Amino acid sequence: QSRTVTGKVTGAGDNSPLPGVSVVVKGTSTGTATNADGSFSVNVPADAKALVFRYIGYVTKEAAIGSNSNINVVLDLDNKQLAEVLIQVPYGTVTKTAFTGAESTISTKAIERQQVTSVTRVLEGLVPGIQTTNGGGAPGSNASVRVRGIGSINSSSEPLYVVDGVPFSGTLQSISTDDIASVTVLKDAAAAALYGSRAANGVIMITTKRGKTGKPSVAVNLRRGVSDRAIPEYERVNEQEYYELMWEAMRNAKLGGAPTAGKDIAGANKFASDNIAGGNGLVYNPYNVPGNQVIDATTGRLNPNARLLYSDSWADELFQQSNRTDVNMNVSGGAEKSDYYLSVGYIKEEGVAKFSGYDRVNARASINTQVTNWLKSGINIAGNMSENQGNYATGTATSNPFYYSRYMGPIYPVWQRDGEGKFVTDPTTGDRALDWGNASQMGARPYAPNSNLLGSLALDERSIRRSEATVNTFAEVKFLEDFTFKTTFGGNYYNGFGTTFQNSLYGDAQNVSGRSTKSDTRTTSYTFNQVLTWNKQFGNHSLRALAGHENYEYESRNVSATKTGFAFPGTNELAAAATITDGTSGFSDHKIESYFSQLNYSLSDKYLASASFRRDGTSRFYKDSRWGNFYSIGAGWRISEEDFLSADWIDELKLRGSYGEQGNEATDSYYQWQGLYSLGWNNGNAPGAIVSSLPALDLIWESNANFNVGADFRFFNKVEGTVEYFQRISSNLLFAVPTPYSTGGLEMWQNIGTMSNNGWELQLGYNAINTSDFDWRMDLNLTSYKNKIKEMPNGDPIINGTKRLAEGKDIYAFWLREYYGVDPNNGDALYRTDKTLYNPASSAYQIIGQDTVTNNINNATYAYRGSAIPDLIGGFSNSFRYKGFDLAVLMTFQVGGKFYDGNYAGLMHRGTYGTHFSKDILNRWTPENTNTDVPRLQQGIASQDGASTRWLFDASYLNVKNINLGYTLPNTLTSRIGVNNMRAFVSVDNAKIFTKNEGMDPQRSFTGTSDFSYPVMRTFTLGLNGNF
Amino acid sequence: CDKEYLDTAPSSSVPNEMVFGTTEGATVALNGIYRSLWTSMDNHGNYGQKSYDLTMDMMGNDVITPVRGYGWFVAEYNHSAYATATTTSRSGVAWRYYYRTINNANLIIANVDNATGTQARKDYVKGNALFLRAHSYFYLINMFQHTYKGHENAPGVPLYTEPTTEGKGRGTVQEVYNQIIADLDAAEALLEGKTKDLVSHINQKTVKGLQARVALQMENWERARMKANEARQGYSLMNATTYKAGFGVANSEWMWGLQIPNDQSTIYASFFSHMSNTAGGYAGLGSKKLITRELYEKMSATDVRKEIVQAPVADNKGTQPNYTSLKFRLPGAGSWAADYVLMRASEMYLIEAEALARLGRAPEAVALLETLVRSRDAAYVAPAISGQALIEEILIQRRIELWGEGFSILDLKRLNRPVKRITGTAANGEHVEALILVKERSITDPQILFRIPQDEINNNKALSASDQNP
Repeated sequence: QSRTVTGKVTGAGDNSPLPGVSVVVKGTSTGTATNADGSFSVNVPADAKALVFRYIGYVTKEAAIGSNSNINVVLDLDNKQLAEVLIQVPYGTVTKTAFTGAESTISTKAIERQQVTSVTRVLEGLVPGIQTTNGGGAPGSNASVRVRGIGSINSSSEPLYVVDGVPFSGTLQSISTDDIASVTVLKDAAAAALYGSRAANGVIMITTKRGKTGKPSVAVNLRRGVSDRAIPEYERVNEQEYYELMWEAMRNAKLGGAPTAGKDIAGANKFASDNIAGGNGLVYNPYNVPGNQVIDATTGRLNPNARLLYSDSWADELFQQSNRTDVNMNVSGGAEKSDYYLSVGYIKEEGVAKFSGYDRVNARASINTQVTNWLKSGINIAGNMSENQGNYATGTATSNPFYYSRYMGPIYPVWQRDGEGKFVTDPTTGDRALDWGNASQMGARPYAPNSNLLGSLALDERSIRRSEATVNTFAEVKFLEDFTFKTTFGGNYYNGFGTTFQNSLYGDAQNVSGRSTKSDTRTTSYTFNQVLTWNKQFGNHSLRALAGHENYEYESRNVSATKTGFAFPGTNELAAAATITDGTSGFSDHKIESYFSQLNYSLSDKYLASASFRRDGTSRFYKDSRWGNFYSIGAGWRISEEDFLSADWIDELKLRGSYGEQGNEATDSYYQWQGLYSLGWNNGNAPGAIVSSLPALDLIWESNANFNVGADFRFFNKVEGTVEYFQRISSNLLFAVPTPYSTGGLEMWQNIGTMSNNGWELQLGYNAINTSDFDWRMDLNLTSYKNKIKEMPNGDPIINGTKRLAEGKDIYAFWLREYYGVDPNNGDALYRTDKTLYNPASSAYQIIGQDTVTNNINNATYAYRGSAIPDLIGGFSNSFRYKGFDLAVLMTFQVGGKFYDGNYAGLMHRGTYGTHFSKDILNRWTPENTNTDVPRLQQGIASQDGASTRWLFDASYLNVKNINLGYTLPNTLTSRIGVNNMRAFVSVDNAKIFTKNEGMDPQRSFTGTSDFSYPVMRTFTLGLNGNF
Repeated sequence: CDKEYLDTAPSSSVPNEMVFGTTEGATVALNGIYRSLWTSMDNHGNYGQKSYDLTMDMMGNDVITPVRGYGWFVAEYNHSAYATATTTSRSGVAWRYYYRTINNANLIIANVDNATGTQARKDYVKGNALFLRAHSYFYLINMFQHTYKGHENAPGVPLYTEPTTEGKGRGTVQEVYNQIIADLDAAEALLEGKTKDLVSHINQKTVKGLQARVALQMENWERARMKANEARQGYSLMNATTYKAGFGVANSEWMWGLQIPNDQSTIYASFFSHMSNTAGGYAGLGSKKLITRELYEKMSATDVRKEIVQAPVADNKGTQPNYTSLKFRLPGAGSWAADYVLMRASEMYLIEAEALARLGRAPEAVALLETLVRSRDAAYVAPAISGQALIEEILIQRRIELWGEGFSILDLKRLNRPVKRITGTAANGEHVEALILVKERSITDPQILFRIPQDEINNNKALSASDQNP
């Protein structure tokens, strides 16, 4: 006689239902497994005393049956069962305890908290050993990642991205973060060596979700957010200050320097007052007094009677608070021999800059099945279509709204005004007329005339429409008991259709009646491998050996055409245009072939050893030098398994070490070894070509020797962590050695130079409080590394922009002239002098105390001024749970490092007409304000300004990167409506970024230099997750 | 996999061996250089030879721009552009542009003799390359150093006659001129009897024309006279109609020009964008290019060259301000296709006339001058017939005739005359003081010289900071 007992199993911590938990009647083999919602139903014999609940990663629990017919169980996480944690490694998985390499894994939970489109934006601060940029705020954009320092100088330093075991050549933002089960960062040789050819800069393995055995489960995620700028605009002067400052710059130019006794100051003042609002001054006069009366020539101040007639803000018109919608639904499940995961998602992300946005529809299906007892097969297909609008020109192009609005002087209106400051009606539209900065309207605006971004961005188009597909399929055959043969084919298809359209009515393409460029790029890539594995256990010995072969092929084709002459507005299709002005197509390919093998051995689960070897050939190099050999060795010792260390509080203690060499071949060209002439330099109808690259027949793989020692530990079942020391030595650096411009200035690619990255990482987790109602966990990770160039081509330094590469220095060491300050006598900018140029007879030099200084920047001396590489980077997260509430706060930070802020330098000019000023210019030198470090204003002053330490600042920052507050509705409530689990949350991404200077964005680049790009966004989100 | 799996070849470039396998391939390399003479580099202010020609004019006295506009060439106008030694500054781009031409020419000169093809074809390609090399060195030496006469031993520019990656030092001005002369003499011989493939290429007459231009700069009057005379043979002067046609289509007077079809035009980054006051380029948008009243008033009312200048009117409300030059105009509306003039027979008349006058052969000089100017102004009679007055008249006619074609600073240099601008208002055909900043500057002021780009000093072991122009 038996009866039925039902119940539900949930996990401690978040109280989420646990599917697939083994439920067995104690002392028997009778049992079942829980469904996707954690529920079970089991027949128990009358004499049964208890049920045993077993689940990987949780403490096994017994529950007395008694007379209960309903038994609900909460399983506690079993930290001792760390051994069961599987981590993703090349060509398979391995238990964490048996692994000799350095890796960090980010779980789906940590990914879910952050509301980002690209997974690359999640990584910062979550794992040690990586450094990221913030990736800016353009919708649908990616962050860049560096693993353990900077691996290469001229070759790529980007890690290899691997999705479900296949190197990924698609776009990273196309992978839905809802589909990601985990992200694993492989950092050392033992971890990454099997991807030897391209793993020199670390590997980021993205694993997508799979179905779990049990009843089908449906998950729905709904998120809605609003965004604004997380990095504020620089503080700038107002209209009155602007007019007065520009007047002063003009007056000083007329004097040819600082106002001093004996000069005709009155004359210069009058000249400036007469001309400041004129055609060669500011052109625009927003005041109600005539142009020559705006500034009082005796005081240099605004005429007290002057009143502003209008005041427009370009930023208010060009930027917006933007909306973000992110919805996803997936269905997963599995029967005994098959599992499936199906998901669809939609994202619509507006940009803070108007007319910019990203939207994506994506779908994924993953199906795996055990066909027979010796054959297993599966397929994972993902596809997406996306549209990216507003790919604004970056840099100093007028069409970049961030550049445009930052530097446009405050007196220039968005809308045209008449003499009384009233709006003017546009005769064609009937609306307020925009001011295009033309002579036919209010005058030729000295800043970006003939443009009005509010008008032209609305009429122009700069977009990419992408469609992508990834297919990943495998077949696995087991034979002769211990052997497995697995073959995987992973392919990626990308198509990007670009439109760049400049409208026919206004601006740059008005005179050719509009200009449209359509481009189509189609890229296919695949990886095809065959791997044979032998697994053998005998006694205490466990052996795993594998050997394999792999092909990688990448092919990209593109075609583009440009036409002008659009008869009618409203279309940008080439069919509608008259004149073809450009048309081209191209093709490129890249291939790698590899052979590899690996051996893993463990004795009693205590002593671990591994070794691997890989040989790769690349199409980038000449046939005699294209093959490279790479290897790794690793060893581990689980001290905690030793009998002599039986202390209760030591749950796990493992020492491990590895050494190996990996390769890098990612140079600028897929045809790097060839001396080439570049085609397309046609002269009329005659084909033409000019020399574009020097031959490099001897080029070989750059190699990266990676040494790692680390310890993994867990104590008191509370504190866990990893501490590691690493050393990477990149040698045979693929170096683009610059040649003098006078010899043609082509780069000479050579394998010269050595660079090292030494550092340590720490990851600490502390579960401070762990009760059934309240849980508090802290996680801290820290990374510090030093980069050092050990050998340069011929030992010679190479100067590149603000940097100078030299032996003994790091790759991002700033090489700048030293700004000394301001000459209190005349407001000249002073720089420390290059002693070899010093000439006591020249007025360009003077001696102040011990220092020889010059007012001509060309005579100033260069020196090292610190580095963009920070002293310390890290992340700190706190997560709390109180009953149904949960709260997580992630902070990321950088300590030290320098940032060269060229954006700020652009706002601290000497009086460029039309260009805005930083508020700091108010502290410029004047005869009354001589104790300052801001030089005097003066138009056209030559040889006093340029790159120097004046624009170099501390790059330390603290970012409250994510705050996520959630509430899980009680199960008793939700189960009534058929929902197993429902969580509502609010989240803030990039809540607050603290930097040295307002407006500065030190996380913009690894090199510590600014650009004029899209600033990172702050996003507030409301969300709802439900499981059915 | 089979062995060829890893052998790949690019689609948009060709290996060096293929280029110099045949003379046809070498011709492709030659055409690449010609294309690079008008291709834009870095920004809208750089579009090959004509952008340096405009720089020469903006640095001088005769071209006015009344407002800042987009700011292009304003820094050249106020002499601050080339004081900067960055790679993308005016001096940086000029340096890279001319040396790119030289390197490509050197590759042809070094390899074409081994290519398969007729000797005549090899000579043709090599002759063109030698000319382009000489042309580049001539401009480099005049930008980075004062004029030849009196500065023969001053530092020159690094001189390369074969492809290399090893940098060289500055040498002397004399050495650079020696090479220019040698290259042009060799080109002259190689191109004997050859017809050019394309309008953009050069022939023996063009070589002689450049020989004359160089000799004039070197004050070698006899050689200048002889070469100019030989060069202009077979070319007829423009008539009034063609003179007014906009200088955008090659005609019977052009000895060398670049023929640029629509799809190869560089649009905003083009000569007509900056010089055509009627097109929708930068000049049309506000940075108008005006001729000075001083020069305008030296033309008689019957001079066709005066007709293509907006006559001054009081309180001009029209689209073209007073003294706007309409010399350069795009040939077709809605298209940027236009030819660039680089050498024409009028220049040869002027060189020959000036040389004759300086050689004391005044009557011949007057005759030549009058032939030229009468084709523009039928009523023209030379106001002076001998001595310095005649030379001054030839120089004035030179400024008028070649206005906007890139000779201003080259002439001031060889004549040792200062930059001197009459200031006032643009409406009066005067320079605007708030814009020019430099009203007067000695032509031997080191601030006239371009700066060697800092990257060149960094990467060229034969140069150091002390090699920089003062």
